[in-house]
Amino acid sequence: MTSPGIDVRDLSMVYRVPVREAGVRAAIRSLWQRRTREVTALDGIGFQVGAGEAVGLIGPNGAGKTSLMKIMAGILRPTGGSVRVLGREPFDRHPDHLRRIALVRGSQPLGGAPELTVMDSLQYQGLVYDVAAGQLRRNLAELVDLLDLGGLLERQVRALSLGERMRAGLAMALVYRPAVLFLDEPTIGLDVSAAVQTRRFLRRYVAQTGATMILTSHYMADVAELCPRVVLINHGAQVYDGSLPELTAHVGRDRLVEVVLADDAEPPAGAHALGDGRYQLSVARDQVPDTVGRLLADTRVLDLGIKEAPLDVLMDEIYRRTGTRAR
Amino acid sequence: MTRLPRLLWLNVERQFLTWSGAWWFVFALAAGQLVPPLVGLAVWHAVLPDSSRVTSYYLAVLFVAATTASYENHTFAQRIYKGTIADDLLRPQPAVLGPLGENLAIRAWIGLTAVPVVVLVAATTTVSFPPGALAAALPAWLGAGLLRFLFTWCLALTAFWTERVHAITAFATTVLYLLGGTAVPVDLLPRPWAELAPYLPFYAMLGLPADIATAGAGPVRGLLVQAGWLLATGALAVVLWRRGLRRHTAVGG
Repeated sequence: MTSPGIDVRDLSMVYRVPVREAGVRAAIRSLWQRRTREVTALDGIGFQVGAGEAVGLIGPNGAGKTSLMKIMAGILRPTGGSVRVLGREPFDRHPDHLRRIALVRGSQPLGGAPELTVMDSLQYQGLVYDVAAGQLRRNLAELVDLLDLGGLLERQVRALSLGERMRAGLAMALVYRPAVLFLDEPTIGLDVSAAVQTRRFLRRYVAQTGATMILTSHYMADVAELCPRVVLINHGAQVYDGSLPELTAHVGRDRLVEVVLADDAEPPAGAHALGDGRYQLSVARDQVPDTVGRLLADTRVLDLGIKEAPLDVLMDEIYRRTGTRAR
Repeated sequence: MTRLPRLLWLNVERQFLTWSGAWWFVFALAAGQLVPPLVGLAVWHAVLPDSSRVTSYYLAVLFVAATTASYENHTFAQRIYKGTIADDLLRPQPAVLGPLGENLAIRAWIGLTAVPVVVLVAATTTVSFPPGALAAALPAWLGAGLLRFLFTWCLALTAFWTERVHAITAFATTVLYLLGGTAVPVDLLPRPWAELAPYLPFYAMLGLPADIATAGAGPVRGLLVQAGWLLATGALAVVLWRRGLRRHTAVGG
């Protein structure tokens, strides 16, 4: 690993949330008798990310990914442990530090004034982030080309579609060339084409600039395509840090054998009917040849295919297993 | 231009453009600022028909109200509620520049909207402003603008703790109307309010510049009181901002 762009050590985050019993009496009592409960969002998280590395933070809803992302970006202050991003504590939000990081939220890719045009917003961003005029022109030209922004520059932000907002939002975040990029669900709500474009752009950007990228996404396609390394968090605990194929290999031992049977054929035992004579069997990897041989010998099979379980299904299995372990 | 004034100007320009798309709302806000002084003018002109000072005073209050209007309970507090304050925190500029820029942009729009009303009132009534008094009122008007911003910003900052900022601001607006010199010029308030009101922040936000402009009050005592309230609200704003931010960074948006 190269010098750490991000260094997270024994990080914890505990929220204190108000609680009360149901009913009017309890509501009135809570006016002078406030009760709170501690909720542990993160516990003992630790990892280092080298400069230029791309790491996916994965985990089910409520795992603590967004809290961790907010802590690394400098929006939240942890209750324990330490975080350093580019050698600084992020929650100090030093202006020099802020000029070197960017947070892009898929749910809100483009903050700021909706009446302004995309070009107005980009120029404003350049001024806020102190980008020299010549550099700004060059960065803009490159981003306009990479993100195909030519037709959007004169349009008002409020009139952009979600996909266009994401492209413009990425341009806003990258126009000052941040060294660390925090991406929170960057393809949420995007159609397939826009998601593919966004991923393609991000891969090229990281390769070209050597930026460090931290990504959270529920779309495993984003993680699989952009992040050679993943950190899995579940119930606030870090349960895995390594490559995605290694992680899925633990649970991905089964193969899916899919067959199309003749009308008069008896479906094999344990098969899951998919309709139109199609059936699916989940078979352990080392049992596949025997099972397929038996099927072909005993049943009138019209078509047969073998495939791996989809990544999303594997992740569901992983989340359930690690959730039990982390609890 | 140095960086901070340049960034402030950028924020004003940006918000001025943004608010250009909400001109019906700007009219509604302007009406909210202009109607109370116009009502005061109508009532007190009927009570004191021979007093040109009352007419001049209310015309000045009209101008001050329109050009010092502050709505951080609508603008800044909403950013706390929606969580978009996180965007402001991650920009390499003081977070107050955003609300201050928006404040000045809204004032510019309301001021433009108020011009025809001020001209109409001036043309249809007898008003007089001694030039020296007008010049003396200038610092009080600037101070009133800053004080009203700081006062409303302090109220808006309570959004870090409560979701009921509008109720708090509505109460403060009522007190401002009653004790700031809009409902009644403060020297016509019943005692002991007439003696107390000049020392409260509400008068320093509205009535003071109007009183000085119409030579109804000497500027020194009023400006000193105003400066005191500027220091107090400025310090309070710093404390609330720091504590609010500490709470925000502990519990999130």
